[in-house]
Amino acid sequence: MNSIEKQPSPLWTNATSEARLTGTWRSAMPHYQNLPSPCRGACPVGGRIAEWVRHIELGDYKAAWTTLVDNNPFPAIAGRICHHPCETACNRNALDETVGICSLERFVGDLALKEGWAYPKPKQERKETIAVVGGGPAGLSACYQLRRLGYQVSLYESQEQLGGLLRYGIPAYRLEKKILDGEIQRILDMGVDLHLNAEVGSAQALKELHAKHDAVYLATGASRSKNLPGLDYAQSWVMDSAEFLADTNAGKACDLGRDLVVIGGGSAAMDVARTARRLGRNVTVLALEPDDLLPAHEVEVIEAKEEAITFVTGAMMQSAETNGDGIVLKCIKVDFKPGEKRGQFTIDPIAGSEFELSAHGIIPSIGQDADLKRWQDLLDAAGPVVSTDGDWQTSTPGIFAGGDVASMDRFVTQAIGMGKEAAWGIARQVDAATAPARPEAEPLIPYEVINTSYHAKHRRLQAANRDVEARLQTFDEVQLPLALEEAVAEAKRCFSCGTCIYCDNCYLYCPDMAITKLERGYEVKNDYCKGCGLCVAECPTGSIHMEKEQKA
Amino acid sequence: MNAISNKMLLSGNHAVSWAVKLVQPDVAPVYPITPQTPILEKITEFEGRGEISTELVTPESEHSAMAACISASLTGARVFTATSSQGLLLMHELLHYASGARAPIVMFNVNRTPASPWGFWPDQLDSLSQRDTGWVQLYSESPQESLDSVIQAYRIAETVSLPTMISHDAFYVSHSLEVVDVPGEKMVRDFLPDYEPENMLDVASGKSFGAPIDQKTWNRSRREMAASFAEVEAQVNAAGADWGKLTGRSYGALEEYRSQDADVVIVTMGSMCGTARVAVDALRDQGLSVGLLKVRQFRPFPTESVCKALGHAKSVVVLDRNYSPGMGGILHQELKAALYGAAQGPKVHGLLAGVGGMNVPPEKIMSLVGQYKDAEPSVESQWVE
Repeated sequence: MNSIEKQPSPLWTNATSEARLTGTWRSAMPHYQNLPSPCRGACPVGGRIAEWVRHIELGDYKAAWTTLVDNNPFPAIAGRICHHPCETACNRNALDETVGICSLERFVGDLALKEGWAYPKPKQERKETIAVVGGGPAGLSACYQLRRLGYQVSLYESQEQLGGLLRYGIPAYRLEKKILDGEIQRILDMGVDLHLNAEVGSAQALKELHAKHDAVYLATGASRSKNLPGLDYAQSWVMDSAEFLADTNAGKACDLGRDLVVIGGGSAAMDVARTARRLGRNVTVLALEPDDLLPAHEVEVIEAKEEAITFVTGAMMQSAETNGDGIVLKCIKVDFKPGEKRGQFTIDPIAGSEFELSAHGIIPSIGQDADLKRWQDLLDAAGPVVSTDGDWQTSTPGIFAGGDVASMDRFVTQAIGMGKEAAWGIARQVDAATAPARPEAEPLIPYEVINTSYHAKHRRLQAANRDVEARLQTFDEVQLPLALEEAVAEAKRCFSCGTCIYCDNCYLYCPDMAITKLERGYEVKNDYCKGCGLCVAECPTGSIHMEKEQKA
Repeated sequence: MNAISNKMLLSGNHAVSWAVKLVQPDVAPVYPITPQTPILEKITEFEGRGEISTELVTPESEHSAMAACISASLTGARVFTATSSQGLLLMHELLHYASGARAPIVMFNVNRTPASPWGFWPDQLDSLSQRDTGWVQLYSESPQESLDSVIQAYRIAETVSLPTMISHDAFYVSHSLEVVDVPGEKMVRDFLPDYEPENMLDVASGKSFGAPIDQKTWNRSRREMAASFAEVEAQVNAAGADWGKLTGRSYGALEEYRSQDADVVIVTMGSMCGTARVAVDALRDQGLSVGLLKVRQFRPFPTESVCKALGHAKSVVVLDRNYSPGMGGILHQELKAALYGAAQGPKVHGLLAGVGGMNVPPEKIMSLVGQYKDAEPSVESQWVE
């Protein structure tokens, strides 16, 4: 029994087990699927954030910029002033802190301006011309997207410079003018037929414009300030907020006295208050909303308070009258109840809570309306804005509208997103065959599918702010940029939700060697995958998911 | 250490660690368990001080430790691990795998009672119950022997392509200190050639191990193992003899102590051998013809040599420090099986003497020899107090 002829062991073999089709054992199959990250789902421009952040992580900043500007031609601007709902939605929040997407966007945007990166000319020029009315964020975004598609664009701006709210509303301490100029110029360099000081002020003028072009995009904004009841705007001590910001942005002196009351709790009110502080005024903000419901972004309120602005919240002014060299505001506390939609609310004055504020001037900043009257013969309205359909087309076919004139979503990046959507809507109407498809809603990647074993906890690298004292001396930007190393380190914190990072985990962990590496990506071998799900469990980005299989 | 050898006061476990330091295996997956832990602690100390280049792997269980041993061994690495009792039992599935894969892993086991009931006492049931897993098994009675055996085990295992397990008793050996002669590195290097396996996982050859095979091939794999096991005893004796030439300490599969002319031969394994030697001397002083047969190599069981060593004896007293429920002392059973059919076999008394770590002093052995040397043997193993 103990003798056996010596020959090579048959247990060691070059043969493969390919003859065994283990795929027949399977009841579920993994699928690679790049689903949108929550940040993308929340992004007003639908930006492919996980992708461009990954490019930063890998040091390919140009690729980051190229991906970013697919959806937003203003990364340096958005990186400064976006209300960044992406960060609120970020899955990383469940692990430690949300990724600083906004500061990364600014990093890419600033670098692009510094390096002078330019947009490519369209692959093919088209003969159709589109008129864009209004050179604010929505109009410029539409111009840009239409030019990318090869359409000829004529841009009509009523002011002497482009930018709209970005130029006349946002103060320089939040957005430096040269940044604005740089990002606008880059769009103009794509070739835009520009008409400045060219107001399209009536339905008739709009009709004539439409007749000359294949389509019109109306993005004239909301430039009429709402009037505060009980306040006499004719008084020298009252100044409308839009006028105040436009004057200051243009470098004009302010005639109002030392102590100012800014009425309103929104973003524009913060801009007004903080601008006034920089002009050496003492500022009190009077807002209907209680502290925790102020419509301005939390950061803006915090920074305003840092700059020694007094907040009187949950209160309203009932009347104002002169008193010697100043004025007295008679105010009352209110019970504020928010409504279902942003901007809706009810208030009940609280009897016996009357109080007075003294000041030298009042700047009401309670929001702005679109001027719909001039279009009323041509365009239907939907409440305070122009009525539009899913492609942002108005009641007159061929005329599209977006931005503040057509929406109550009054954020700059929301306007940029609307401009893109309208441009695509216009393209679909002019030539559906070559136009981008309407994006379909897809489920977002939830935190639970991220394998956090691959993501060590690391605190967020926050861009620093200038010291408060230095801030108040000038209109220099408050928020400082991230250094390159900081930006790369912050980008590394990104989970890359739903975005394959080609880490090879699936390929390496597959116990059946059922994953094939492609030049870019992977493929599951139908014949061999047993459906164990190890690849799904070990995917750090949630880019693979199992699908049950029904066998006949 | 440049000297040829060095005297050190070492426990049995630390003697094992020193052997590992001298061999410097490539990979050592280890998992702690009482009373083995001092072995790996000392190894990690060596590694921490940069005194060994061994890659330590710290998996989450003994099962995984053995899985790592097998994988590393199949890549051509020289591998060491150590365990005890529950840890060894947890490895059981992979012990079969290791021998079937012909991975010459060297493992040190510290014999300890398996649960339950829970205990930490010297008892050889843990390793004896692994006797069918295809591992070569050696039993050591002292720190010095444990050190020497680990070094020899690499040569044995790698020559016959079989995993090899050495065991010593908990506390009696593992934690007892004695002066140990620690050989120099050069001596060990000269004794132990480089490991050059015939087959290994290597992308250059593209060969792999572990594919499912047919019945005939599985059958053949056991025949090949049988052929290799047949070579083990000669290799154990050769390694023990060569080691003796270098150190003056020779070893073999069996050790016959004053037994070649003895009427009564005590047969046992592990730490009880040292005690039995004292009892033999005392009984000889009383004029009784008594000797000791120490079984150092339990697997493969050296059947022919045992028959030869016991052929002349009138009676044999087997002292088992283990109990196989439903069968008795395992050494007793093995010995009876070995002697079955011998022309004039001795009477074989199987005594369950040290089960559960019970102390068996020389006087006890002397009285047992007196009690059983002329008695008629029972087929069953006997419990003795």
